[in-house]
Order: sequence, then structure tokens, then C-alpha cells
Amino acid sequence: MTAPILRAEQVAKRFGGLKAVDNVDLQLAEHEILGVIGPNGAGKTTLFSLIAGSIPPTAGTVHLGDRVISGLPAHRAVHAGVVRTHQIVRPFGNLTVLENVMVGAIYGKRGPAGARERAIEVMEFVGLGDRASALPANLTLAGRKRLELARALATEPRVLLLDEVIAGVNPAEAQQMAELIRSVRKSRGLSIIMIEHVMPAVMALSDRVIVLDAGKKISEGKPQEVVRDPKVIAAYLGESAAKAPAEKPA
Amino acid sequence: MTVSPREPAAAKPRVPRGPVLPWVSRQALVGLVVVVALAAAWPALLHPSAYQKNLVTLTFLYICTALAWNWLGGYLGQVSFGHSAMFGVGGFVSARILLSVHVPFAWAWIGGGIVAGLYALLWGHPTLRLRGPYFSIATIGVGEASRLVFTYWEWFTGGSSGLSLPIESGLKARLYWWGLGLLAIMVCASYALRKSSLGLGLLAIKSDVEAAADVGISPTFYQDLVLFLSGLAVGVTGAFYASYFSYIEPGDMFGFVQSISFVLMSVIGGVGTIVGPVLGAIVFVVLRESLIASYPQLYLGLYGILLVVIILFEPLGLMGLFFRIGKLTGLVRPQVVAKAAPGGTGAVRE
Amino acid sequence: MQHFAELFIASVLLAGLYAAMAFGLGLIYGVLRIVNLAHGGVIMAGAYAGWWLYETVGLDPYLSLIPVAAAAFLFGVVIYRLLVRRLPRGAAGGVQSLLLLFGVWLILRNIAYLLFTGNDQTLRTSYSTKALSLANASISVNRVAVFFIALAILLFLHLLLRKTYLGKAIRAVAQNPDSCTLVGIPIERIYALTFGIGTALAAAGGLLGATLFPFSPSFGSAELLKSFVVVVLGGLGSIAGTAIAALILAMVEIFSILIPGFPVYLTAAVGFVLLVLVLVLRPGGLFGQRVLG
Repeated sequence: MTAPILRAEQVAKRFGGLKAVDNVDLQLAEHEILGVIGPNGAGKTTLFSLIAGSIPPTAGTVHLGDRVISGLPAHRAVHAGVVRTHQIVRPFGNLTVLENVMVGAIYGKRGPAGARERAIEVMEFVGLGDRASALPANLTLAGRKRLELARALATEPRVLLLDEVIAGVNPAEAQQMAELIRSVRKSRGLSIIMIEHVMPAVMALSDRVIVLDAGKKISEGKPQEVVRDPKVIAAYLGESAAKAPAEKPA
Repeated sequence: MTVSPREPAAAKPRVPRGPVLPWVSRQALVGLVVVVALAAAWPALLHPSAYQKNLVTLTFLYICTALAWNWLGGYLGQVSFGHSAMFGVGGFVSARILLSVHVPFAWAWIGGGIVAGLYALLWGHPTLRLRGPYFSIATIGVGEASRLVFTYWEWFTGGSSGLSLPIESGLKARLYWWGLGLLAIMVCASYALRKSSLGLGLLAIKSDVEAAADVGISPTFYQDLVLFLSGLAVGVTGAFYASYFSYIEPGDMFGFVQSISFVLMSVIGGVGTIVGPVLGAIVFVVLRESLIASYPQLYLGLYGILLVVIILFEPLGLMGLFFRIGKLTGLVRPQVVAKAAPGGTGAVRE
Repeated sequence: MQHFAELFIASVLLAGLYAAMAFGLGLIYGVLRIVNLAHGGVIMAGAYAGWWLYETVGLDPYLSLIPVAAAAFLFGVVIYRLLVRRLPRGAAGGVQSLLLLFGVWLILRNIAYLLFTGNDQTLRTSYSTKALSLANASISVNRVAVFFIALAILLFLHLLLRKTYLGKAIRAVAQNPDSCTLVGIPIERIYALTFGIGTALAAAGGLLGATLFPFSPSFGSAELLKSFVVVVLGGLGSIAGTAIAALILAMVEIFSILIPGFPVYLTAAVGFVLLVLVLVLRPGGLFGQRVLG
């Protein structure tokens, strides 16, 4: 692998006695899509918060290129080039769709000059071009997920952290969203880390997958390899299920 | 910029024409010029009595304080019950400047305003960093503590006997014009804070602080900035007030009643709107002069009843009524109303 | 050293009062996510109610605690049903509830001015000036009584929240209102009762305060701030946290007189400085953000 664009080294986050993220290493190559999976409560979203600066890590560092970004406040991480979306979408409810995206364009890396045009371009890119003056409350859930993505893209990041942008929408919309994520990488040259529960989407989109369980990274590799890893099966289905397929050939 | 592939689902984009955030719309600009011109012509044309002129000048000042309070309470959704602290600091600092060095009045006002803005930062910065009601509760303590401390600092404020300022002949007449000018500046600043890209950022912070930080806005910086500006503006107005009455005392300047009136004017007119505080201040002065003057023992209760009734039935005050009529007649778009909504009403949660 | 012990005892006794005053504010905030700005007004009303009952009927202030708290409970339920319930929940309701309850406070204050004028009043009973002597130190009987009554109130609340169905329901609503609706807890009734209990506590705290300090219609605003400091310091609805936080506040206030040249009028600002320090150093409160733990 060439020099990774994003590199997390032994990052950890403890809440009181609970190790939400436990010494996780992570590397993201340029133009790569890295899937993060794991059972509920495995620490996936906390890991995102550590990378995006929403919360400071207890230990470890995160590098973007050769710059340390761990411990930076969220808005500085955005200016450095890392932006996240939220699993439960959080549009600015008092702003229209266009204004929501403009906030990203104005306060992202490039500043207010030409922000309106850039916002319109991003809005069209995600397929919200005809909803510019709608309020977020009047969009469908899939529409709001697109808005969340558009607002993040408008900040012109290098690394995009997507937290379950596919889960919860109907299959046709999920298909469109997957297409959209592919084109984000292809035409915008971004590197993407995505948390996703919808397994077919992770399998189809990711170049590589890491698996978290109880805050620890338990597996890493190509999607097809990872799903066959007994440790991963055990994490999802329990110990006995993991042993069962191993016993079969014997 | 890369050429983006169109989503198959996307229809041909229809983006509304004209700026979404017009920098001072033409109507607003014309309206402001007309009002200022009328107010400027009024003394010469109708020869108002000293009482009337005094009342109008005071209304100018009240409008300024209401607008300044609204920057924080309305644009950011951080309600302050202690803005009298900055009003008082501005007044006394400017008075001390005027009493100790010979400078033009305007310099002393600006000096008082800057100190007031810094004072606001001193206590506001730590409490604004946290979401929730911390700031509002702190302001109650700040207002009260400031009044006590400044009343006891006799060497600075003259204690309960107050301070007398230098008097110049014809000052009051001139201050009518200065007041009008200050008002015009405050209205323009309100437009700038609301309609610029800065205003968009403030609306985002009001809606969702964390989501705002996640798209690159520094909530701390912008909240501090607005707090400073709000404190500065209230401080300048307090300084102006001091020069106008040429006598001030801490109990009045730092009084709880001052803080309540700043809140009330915005609530009457419409918290978070631009024109609301202007209307609210005018209604407030009329109310005070007609009702409260005859029943001075009832003013607190009346203020309280007004707050309760307005928040219960029309949280956006007069502007809310206006929006309601506008919606019925199709003159006001719902997008405009959404912006004035108190913090995060529109927040979509699954 | 003698002096030090006296100050310490005074702090402990004062802390009881602070804890009782603050608990209602924390309870309402923990369950409804609303800062009850009428809290200060109810504290003031409780003080006047106790004073009035003593002056007119001769009812001992400690006995009048029961009718006053009961009346305040009803008042709280009415305020909730009539006003607070109509506000939107969540962030939007935050600003609106602050303004609305601030309005209620102003109305209460005005009623007090009309009925009792703005003059300072004191509640003086036959035993107001009596003191216990304890190892050379003399301690006012009232202070001791207030301390133990406050302790009893907190113990009662502890049992209420821990052992009764109502208490468990209140704690459940504080943690997750949505799932409470699912399992059939009448959430609106719990909100109303919580608001009533919080209001009753404020009135009781005010009455206890009136036996120690003079009061006027503006009484309650410093107490509101102190209550808030205790809530922020001690966490929401945790009895032990509230008690420790109240003790810290009381000690800081009382021991500040040991600082040479410390002006007495700044005591009012002590609580505020403490609040700011806590907000900066430990935004989650001293004991973390435990909700009704």
C-alpha cells in the first residue's frame, strides 16, 4: 500500500470504566473505500467521533497525511479535510436544503467565495437539485440522507466518514445511494470510510473491511475474507455458531 | 471544479432565481431610508413638545438595546436575563471617561461599549461553551452580582448617590440625531448579522451546535463574537443613555427591570426576527407610558403576563401574527418563518 | 482552630438548606429537561406563606411546612397542566420554557409586592434566638432544626424515588420517555407530578430559608442561582451528589470570609465564580452526568 491518506494509531477512548474504543489501528489509502462493521455497541460511531474530532481520544493519534488531527476540535478537523455524516441525520431544520449545503460550502475548506455556486453543484450531484428551497422536514428520509451527504461534500473534504447512510431506506433508494457513494469516489477523488449495517452494500462497495467488537479490531481484510473469519462470525452470532462451520469439514 | 455526473433520479434542477440570502433586500433598504427620513424631518415639521421628543429619543435607545439583545437571544437562541450588566458597564465607563479626560462624547461611548463587550466575554465565554440553559441561568446571577458589586464600588460609580456627567448646552437636541444615527447603524448591523453568510452560520449553530461544528463552524468563536457585539452595542447604548440623562446611578443602570425590558421588547415583537424588536420596543414604550405610568405597582406582573401569554399563544410575537396573516395570503414563504423559529424547532429526528 | 470548627459546622448546617432547595430544580430538569425559572419565585412564595401563617394564625413555621408544600405541589401541577405542557419539547421548548417560567416568576414577585410591600420581613418565633451550646460553640436552634428537616426531606425523596412505583416511574421517564410510553407509564401524569414535587420542594426550601434569613419579594433569585450551582456540581437527581455539592457551595461561601480583605458583598458572586469554574473544569458536573442515579 502506498502512503495512507489517513492513519489511526492505537486510538482509544474510555468512558469511565468502559473502553468504547480499545487501541484500534486503522489505515485508509487514497481513493479507498473502507468498510467498518461490527455488532451494535462495538464502538464504530465512537471511532468516527475520534477521527472527526467530535471527541478527543484518551490515547493514540490520528494522522491525515503527515498532519496529526486527533485532538483537534471538530471544525478544525473539517478544515484539515476530514468530515463526517451522522447516523441519525441532523439537518439544520430552520434552513432550506440549499442553505444547509451552503453552510458546508461557506464554512468548509474554501470559504464563502462562490459558495452558492459550489453548493448548487453539490446539490445537483447528490440529486437534490430540484429541492433547493424545500425545508429538510419536507424531504423523505432518503432525501435527508442525501442532504447530510451533500452538506459534508460541500466542505470539500479529502476523507469522508459516512455513518450508516444506506441503512433505513428502501431497497431502490439504497441502490441509488450505493451508486452515489461510488461516484463520490470516482468523480471527486475522495477516500471514504463507511460504517454500515446493510451487509450487501458493504460487501459490494468496500475495498477493505475492518470489524470491531467491544471496541477492539478483531479482523481486517477483503470483504469476502472477513465474513469467513471465525472471530467475526463469533462476534455476530456467538461462539457456538463460529465453531459449527469449522466442525463441519472435520 | 469537476464535472459531476447527474444522478439518474435527479430531475432537471430548478434553483430559485435571485439570491437566497439577499444582502439587504431593496424593500428593506427603502423602508429604512423612509423611516429614518421621516424621523429626521419630524422635529422640524411638527415642532414636537420636549416630552414627545424625549420619548422618541428614548424609543431609539430602547430599539437599539432590543436589537442587540436579539442578536444573542434570537439569532443564536441564547437568552440573556442579565444584559443590564453591559448596559451599566457601558454607562459608567463612558461617564468616567467623560469626567476624567476631555474627549468627544462619541469616543467615550465607544470606549464604554468596548469595555462592556469585554465584560460580556469575561463571564459569557465559559458558559456559552456548553449547550443547554447554562448561559441563561448564569445571566441571572451576573445581572444581580453586577448590580451589587457596582453599587458597592463607590469610588467608581458613586454608589447609590450616582454620578453626574458633564453637561453641554444643546446636547439633548443633538443627541436626538445621534440616537437616530445609532438606530440606523443597529438596524443595518442586524441585517448584516442575519442575512450574510455569517448569519447562515449563526442559524446553523442555533439549530444544532454539534452538526454545525461537523461542517466546519467554530461554535465557540461565533457565539463569543455575537456575545461581544451584543455587549458592545448594549454598552454603547448605555453610554448614550448616560450622556442623555447626564446623571446615572447603579440601581437604575444595572437594575433587573432593565434586563427584563430588553427581553420583553424582543418577545413582544418577535424573537429572532429583524423587524420584531423594533416594533416590540415601540409597543413597549407606548405600553409603559400609558399603562405602567398609571399603575406603577403592577408593572412586573404585567410584564410577566405578557411573557406568558405571548410565549403560549404566539411565540414569535407581533411578527408571528404578521407571518400568520402572510401565510394565509401567501405573502410569506414558510422558509422565512422557519428561520425565526426558536432553536431547532425544525430539527428532524427519526 | 475553634473558629474553623465553627465555620465548618455552619457550612454543614447551611448545606442542608441548599440541598433541599436545589433538589427540586434538579428533579424537574432531570425529568422534563426544563429549567424551572419559577423556582426562585416559588422559594420566595414559600417564605411568605410560612411567615403569613405564623403572623396571622400563629402556626409554627415547621408545622406549616406541610400545608405550604401541599399547596405548592398543587400550584406546580396546575402550572404544568396549564402552561408548560403546551410548549414544544426539546431544544425549541428550551428557550420558550425559560421565557414562560420567567414570566411566572415576575407575576409571583408582583403579587408579593402588592400583598406584602417590598420591605424586608423576618420570621421571628419564640425560639428564634435560642442557641445550643456545643463544646464552646453556640449554634442557633433554628439552624439545627432546618438542617434536620432538610435531611428528612431528602431521605423521604430518596425512599420515594427508590422504593415506590411512582419513584421508579419518574426515574424511568427521566432516562427514556419514549420507551415509558411503550410500557404504559402515563407519562403526562408523571411529568405533572414531577413538576408538582419540584415546586413543593422549592416552597419548603423557601420556608426553611425564611426561618434563618430576612426576605423580600426579590428573595429567590440568589437562591435560584445557588440551586443551579448545586445541580450542576452534583448531577441531576442524585441525592448524595446534591448533598456533597451543597456542602461544597456552603463551605466556599462561608470560608470566603477567612480571606483577609474579602468584601462581604462579593459573597453573592462566590456561587457564580464556583459555577464558572465547574463549567470550565468539569462540564459534566463533579460526579459525571448521572440522571437520577
